[in-house]
Amino acid sequence: MTTPPHAAGNWRRILGTLTLAVLLEQLPWSGWMLAVRPDFVLVVLLFWTLHQPERLGFGTAFFLGLLADFQDGAVFGQHAIAYVVGGYLVLYLRLRLLQFDPSRQAMQLFPVLLSVQLIALLIGWLAVNPPAGLTMLLPVLSSTVLWYAIAGFLRLLHGKGMQDRA
Amino acid sequence: MPTPGQLMFARRLGPTARLLIWLLIGVSCVVIDVRFQALEGLRSGFSLLLQPVRQVLRAPGDVATELSGFFTRHRQLQKERDALLAERARLAVGVNTAKELTRENAELRALLQLQARPGQRTVRAALLYRGHDWFAQRITLDQGATAGLRSGLPVVDARGLVGQVHRVYPGSSEVTLVSSPEQLTPVFVERTGQRGLAAGSGQGRLVLRYMPAQTDIRPGDRLLTSGIDRVYPAGIPVARVNRVSRSQANPYLRVECLPMAGLDRSRAVLVVVAEPQVTKP
Repeated sequence: MTTPPHAAGNWRRILGTLTLAVLLEQLPWSGWMLAVRPDFVLVVLLFWTLHQPERLGFGTAFFLGLLADFQDGAVFGQHAIAYVVGGYLVLYLRLRLLQFDPSRQAMQLFPVLLSVQLIALLIGWLAVNPPAGLTMLLPVLSSTVLWYAIAGFLRLLHGKGMQDRA
Repeated sequence: MPTPGQLMFARRLGPTARLLIWLLIGVSCVVIDVRFQALEGLRSGFSLLLQPVRQVLRAPGDVATELSGFFTRHRQLQKERDALLAERARLAVGVNTAKELTRENAELRALLQLQARPGQRTVRAALLYRGHDWFAQRITLDQGATAGLRSGLPVVDARGLVGQVHRVYPGSSEVTLVSSPEQLTPVFVERTGQRGLAAGSGQGRLVLRYMPAQTDIRPGDRLLTSGIDRVYPAGIPVARVNRVSRSQANPYLRVECLPMAGLDRSRAVLVVVAEPQVTKP
């Protein structure tokens, strides 16, 4: 693999924009400005994940998430997990996103940003107001067992293979 | 099956595997932070790193405020001066009464051989940053452990109680606002002396909890800290009752209050540093 000639410039650009985003979040926002303030760091992070996926990994996303957690005085890990998932979603949709013009790209990114926010919300809620116990996860286990039972039973009933793909 | 020339494993893990690893790290972070409070060092590190940045970035706003203040019209200043003179006259009367009361109080305390209240010191602090958490409303102040702050101290502004110090870093501290959800403040109703518990309800409001339906309380009543929790000194204004409603289903009144302090306006606050009480045998 050969390194592109403008590699150093790219690094500088990535670091510069990320620093700028972090600085922007440090401004003393308040009132409705705070309410509508975009998550600069997340947007820059996702942008570079889309365009330079080999340079920004999950580690960077995680660290920036920890920084966001500190900024909001939230539980450590809340934004970190959400940012990592956001990065993964962009990687997953990367080839698709790169084909679109900016307006469609923004539209496609809306669900990604929404899911990042919802994940942070969910984790924060679980950490701050934990439900009665992890017993809420037991149905997952029992449902899996039930699935196994049904599948096994049907297989027995129909002979040795229900191979859909045949 | 891998052909002889092919690598058995990819040199780099696939995105899904890496995602799972990071998710695991994230979840353990949450658990370590919530269950064991073991990440305060990391928080302090971030704080040391970002505090100077926040100080610097606050400067443009300060300059803008200074400039707009400079161009305030003469007329308005005159008006304000008149209002202040009137208020000073009114306050002077109050101060005299207070002096009387202080002397009388001291005498009575001496009579009762009560210990005088331990000295209270206040630390001036300025708003540095406003957090954007969904589960608690917090602000960051520019004073921290070096100024003698510790977690749990009350924070007030000119109009009333702002909140309670939540986390302390070397040069800054986080304050949970009184209107933050689940933030409890023991209060009493100024007019009747009825004690109660004010809880933040988010959106800059408070509710007075567990008020029996026959309680004498009406809109406009002021709530002051009762001081029975030994956290807040007694008599700091907390909130003003905004709406009282009864419901058939609930044995308690629903009392909505608005905080007195300028939670989203104040830029300068005082932290009341009470010296720890020493009880002598």
